Amino acid sequence: MNAAIGNSALGSQAGAISQMQPARLKVEQVTYAYSATDRSAPKFTLGPASFEAGRQEIVAVLGPNASGKSTMLKLLAGLVQPLSGRIEVDGSEIGELDLRMRAQRVALVQQESELLFPLRVWEYVLQGRYPYGRRLRFESDEDSLFAGNALAQVGADALRSRWMNELSGGEKQRVILARSLAQQPSLLLLDEPTQHLDIGGKVELLRRLRKLADQNRHTVIVVTHELNLAAEFSDRIVLLHKGKCLRVGPPGEVYERDLLEEIFEAPLEVEMRRNGRPRVILRAEH
Amino acid sequence: MRTLTPRRVAGICGLLGAVLFIVVVISLRMGAYPIAVSDIVKTLVNGALGRKDQIPSDLALVIFGLRLPRIALGILVGASLSTAGAGFQALLRNPLADPYVLGVSSGAALGSILSLILVPHVPGAIQAAAFAGAAATTAAVYFLGRRGGQLDSATLLLAGIISASFLSAIIMFLMTTLTGRDLRGMAFWLMGDLATPLPSTHLFAWFGFLFLVFFFAAGAMYTTASDLNLILTGEQEARHLGVNLNRVKLVVYVSASVLTGLAVSVSGAIGYVGLLVPHVMRMIFGTDYRLLIPTSVIGGAIAIVVADLLARTVVAPTELPVGAMTAIAGAPVFIYLIRRRVR
Amino acid sequence: MAVASLPAHAQASAARPAPRVVTDEAGRRVTIPPEVNRIVSLAPDLTETMYALGLQGRLVGDTDYCDTPAEAKIKPHVGGPMNPSIEAIVALHPDLVLASESINWERTADAIARLGIPVYTTNPHTVRGMVDSFGRLADLLGASQQGAALVARLNNRLENLHARLADLPPAHVLFVVWLEPLTTIGQNTFIADALRWAGAESIVLSKQNWPQLSLEEVVRLQPDYIVLADSHSGEGTRTLDDLRAREAWKDLRAVQERHVAIVSEEIDRPAPGLIDAIEELAHQIHPNAFAAKDNRMVPGANESRRSAACVR
Repeated sequence: MNAAIGNSALGSQAGAISQMQPARLKVEQVTYAYSATDRSAPKFTLGPASFEAGRQEIVAVLGPNASGKSTMLKLLAGLVQPLSGRIEVDGSEIGELDLRMRAQRVALVQQESELLFPLRVWEYVLQGRYPYGRRLRFESDEDSLFAGNALAQVGADALRSRWMNELSGGEKQRVILARSLAQQPSLLLLDEPTQHLDIGGKVELLRRLRKLADQNRHTVIVVTHELNLAAEFSDRIVLLHKGKCLRVGPPGEVYERDLLEEIFEAPLEVEMRRNGRPRVILRAEH
Repeated sequence: MRTLTPRRVAGICGLLGAVLFIVVVISLRMGAYPIAVSDIVKTLVNGALGRKDQIPSDLALVIFGLRLPRIALGILVGASLSTAGAGFQALLRNPLADPYVLGVSSGAALGSILSLILVPHVPGAIQAAAFAGAAATTAAVYFLGRRGGQLDSATLLLAGIISASFLSAIIMFLMTTLTGRDLRGMAFWLMGDLATPLPSTHLFAWFGFLFLVFFFAAGAMYTTASDLNLILTGEQEARHLGVNLNRVKLVVYVSASVLTGLAVSVSGAIGYVGLLVPHVMRMIFGTDYRLLIPTSVIGGAIAIVVADLLARTVVAPTELPVGAMTAIAGAPVFIYLIRRRVR
Repeated sequence: MAVASLPAHAQASAARPAPRVVTDEAGRRVTIPPEVNRIVSLAPDLTETMYALGLQGRLVGDTDYCDTPAEAKIKPHVGGPMNPSIEAIVALHPDLVLASESINWERTADAIARLGIPVYTTNPHTVRGMVDSFGRLADLLGASQQGAALVARLNNRLENLHARLADLPPAHVLFVVWLEPLTTIGQNTFIADALRWAGAESIVLSKQNWPQLSLEEVVRLQPDYIVLADSHSGEGTRTLDDLRAREAWKDLRAVQERHVAIVSEEIDRPAPGLIDAIEELAHQIHPNAFAAKDNRMVPGANESRRSAACVR
């Protein structure tokens, strides 16, 4: 299997379609360095990393802890600037967009929401429309339309009038996702979204993301360390280890036993399933 | 679940405005000097139409010289304090924030004490010095409250509390060295009082100037209303949605401080209004700042006019300071609000 | 002003005194109307002075705290001296409002003056100054005769007192304004001057008006007398017992020798009753000076009670 970085002629059908259009997300030779203080030597570096992602693709940024996944997400969200290289979304470099333009293209889905005062679900989701229109604005019918759609897409329409702090964990997550969807982003970023969910919740979330990517033509980037979920649901894997981007490609290509064992420091076995996607299991010790 | 529209904001403001109007009329009616409502109306109408000579001099004295200015001052101060309180509660991400938590009132008090020591008997000096003190404190706390070059809520709160303590200590020291007579004037600052010395000439222009400052500051804060709504769900979330955190925090900080300085310069530190009115308005009308700011403006005005009315009439003819009234009424309201939240 | 050139109605009114512009004792320029028939007093000392001058008939309002003499309590009240109701004052239609720097706030006087009502503020710094102030006030109100009589009487008493005490060394006293924290008087206070007239000198010399003192300092200075102002002179013995029971106080020479003097609180009030308080104090700390049988000075003669006889 071809494990070349950045290109993959093989892969899911969605991936094949995206090849025909200009890639929505382009990460080119991006590096980043993080220092504890201004004067000390960089404690951690990321990159150079390059990959692309197209419409309707789910990309998993995969790796063990401290591999640079969260840093990659921050770069993609525009929270930090890369030391070198470019990150482009829909043809524009992230760093050059003003805050509101960036919010129209990129939505970062948070884990939790620390509300200071009681807020209703509807109001919360409507806030996702902030990047559009003037700074001080009252929502238009169009805004209401998009917010309503977003709620419907996550199956939370019935929660519209509820108070945010009365929701269950799962309901709240869906509402938070809805707010991000209301932003009508090109790029949807999620940081370890399956952390606090049980296996049923994890599957439900990823299925939903898949549906959303297909319906709304988002590009979804999910940072995770869950090998099997990533393998099952993503079109492309970006494999990170200690800040280095080791592999980019469809799961079938990227999941090599030796490589994964070295990275995750665990005895592993990689099986290929009938649908072309790999499965990783712990190797039995004798 | 309805979406907030400008029409709804206007409607609610109109409703509250009507309540304010009624309260003002009642307040105009009350006082040690007995005046019938019909006489009040006649005097107001004649005054508005410029027919000053048709008004008996006593009525003109009491209504235009005493009651109306005091009510106008009350509206100004109440509106300023509540709006500042709403702003600080968002900026500091703390429901217990009131306009004085960042030391602005201590700075104003220090300014006024210094003016009493250095330039006593100069008309208007106390108020100007108070505002200068407030401004200086605002600037100092701003520089102390930054972290990494940006306003940070926690650091700002700390800086403000420390400044307030420090300034209070200086004030204590000065008060023990002042002579007895001057000392009495300071009790006014500690309690807050609407019987402030008004200028004897150009009263209208003076009020006009103050209201202008109020509208600028409150207006500036209102432009950040949508931003504040987002910030209240989390600063990072707000940033991701495109809010310019630094700009918004600076605008809210400056405008809330100007509003507080304005109120404190003319009436001392009236307590509880800035803290409670935004909470009450939130309870009734929701937490959306596009509605909360205007309702706090009018709600604060109503609160102070009512408090002053009570202060003037409860133990007539002795006048209580307004601050005493707001404290008496405010404490139970505060306790009630806390218990509701705990539930 | 040539009378012949005046229009007719002005000629008639030329007989009445014109309004005068004077500068009051707080430096404010006040326009006194030609006839002052309705007076509002904002301070207990001024109310007392009104009665002493026999002008209580013209007093249409005073404060809640005006209790000397007792008749003053039934006058219409305008509130407390520190926070009167301006409206109540206006409602009484006064020709003149009297304020005293010793208790009224400057801004109260400002607020009234701003409404066009004349406010006259008294501000005596010394006992002599106070007596002169009575005279000036009386002149202002067209009661020069009564004023002169009051001034003469008070000055007389002061002279007599001075004569008796002139050869005696002043007693060193601690005037206690407040027991905890221990607060006494400064050199420039009214009380300090009153004390001097009573033949006493405060053991503390301070530019501050109300300096706080440590008990150690008192022990070091060992005053001859301890003086306290009290509204009920009958409490005198009780206060002495109280001090004799307190730690450190009981070891003071003055306490052990029972040299604790109680004076009426009039000692701090710039009113005619102050002279009574001074005499009262002088009697307590210089008893020997009053052994003579000169009965022109009757201890405890109450100035305000005396005024009742002058009313008719």
